[in-house]
Amino acid sequence: MSQKSNNRPALKIALIAVLTAITVVFTLIVRVPTPIKGYISLCDVVITFSAYLFGPYTAMIAGGLGTGLADIIGGYAQWAPFSFIIHGLQGLLIGLIAKKGASTGYSIDSSILRMILGGIVGMAVMAGGYYLVGGMFYGFEPALVEIPLNLMQSGVGVVLGIAVSKSVSKAYPAVRELSW
Amino acid sequence: MISSTYIAGRGFIYHTDARAKLLLVLLLCIEVFLPVSTIGMYLISLLCIALAWYAAGFRQAISPLKTILPLIIIMILFTPFTYTDSTPLIVVKGITLATTEGLFHLNLLIARFTAITYLTTLFVWSTSMSDIMLTFRFYGLPYKGALVITLAFRFIPFIADSFHMIRDAFSLRVPNETTRSRKSRIFDILPTISCVLVFALKSIPNLAMSLEHRGLGRRQKRSTYHTIHAKGSLFTHLFICVMIATLFYLVFSY
Repeated sequence: MSQKSNNRPALKIALIAVLTAITVVFTLIVRVPTPIKGYISLCDVVITFSAYLFGPYTAMIAGGLGTGLADIIGGYAQWAPFSFIIHGLQGLLIGLIAKKGASTGYSIDSSILRMILGGIVGMAVMAGGYYLVGGMFYGFEPALVEIPLNLMQSGVGVVLGIAVSKSVSKAYPAVRELSW
Repeated sequence: MISSTYIAGRGFIYHTDARAKLLLVLLLCIEVFLPVSTIGMYLISLLCIALAWYAAGFRQAISPLKTILPLIIIMILFTPFTYTDSTPLIVVKGITLATTEGLFHLNLLIARFTAITYLTTLFVWSTSMSDIMLTFRFYGLPYKGALVITLAFRFIPFIADSFHMIRDAFSLRVPNETTRSRKSRIFDILPTISCVLVFALKSIPNLAMSLEHRGLGRRQKRSTYHTIHAKGSLFTHLFICVMIATLFYLVFSY
């Protein structure tokens, strides 16, 4: 895996496909129980992880596609196009903010503060996006209920995403070569 | 893990071209946001329930209602409170609980959300994943985009199984219960997640290599996606679906 994925379209496709599949699995299967919401899905962990390790565009496509497909499979097809846009934008912004502060060009080498800033922007995009769509679907007042729950889910996603991206880049250093 | 939403059943919705069905779903989903009577929206939901009942049984037909029930309860609890200016209908100890405008909006929101939920659900129930993919291709999804989605579906069961195996392996080592806090419970999952991610990421070079062996990146593509075949011509299916959407709007718009 010494060749960067920019030169190999197959590597780019394989990376996005596997990350999309991981996002679907983490959305539908990996759920952490919480006292308030019942459970939180870990899709935001994969989106944040993808943004830090593989850059904004991989995170945008894999995050958007993965959550959209998970909505279709999970029986919430009406949310799929909106999840695609919201989580895609979330991944893009997290990745762009983190990448801007990285001297080496890899988002993972960015400072922890910049990574957190990217995560906070991602949280705002996710919670705000679902508030707007929820408002459109079932009214802006009832949609307010979901804001803290979505903030909590994406907040856990950012914290675990930073931790996981650091640990994976140490455990499997070759993963850096897949960034584009 | 089941990654297909298709439910085998009977009825004309299974014989309708998926491309026309998707167009109809999109048109009706747009129309419910236009000034359309709520009776029309409930009629869509009832028709979808009837079709799903005929296709796959009553239990299956009402299952989307169960998934949206919490949201409907939230709507009932919050929406009437926010419209207090019009004629009061329910007043308790001087506090207006519901007004005519509040109930009108509540009715509209429930009708709209239920209709959209049933329309989209019925589409994914009655269309196989391969047909959904080919429909997206027909409407402009690029070759590489479709390839990514098909590969993702190939990897979903593999990653799900890997997750279960790794989680089971980690569960053999129980953390010290006395020192566990809520924070540490969330972080307990960290080693499992990291392992699953590394395990899945290690399959990328092999997948890329096999794609290159199969001709990806060459000028002359070795394979193409086939097109959907349905009973009757595509034009007829599209025409009928557009007519249904047009009639719905003409009858129920105000």
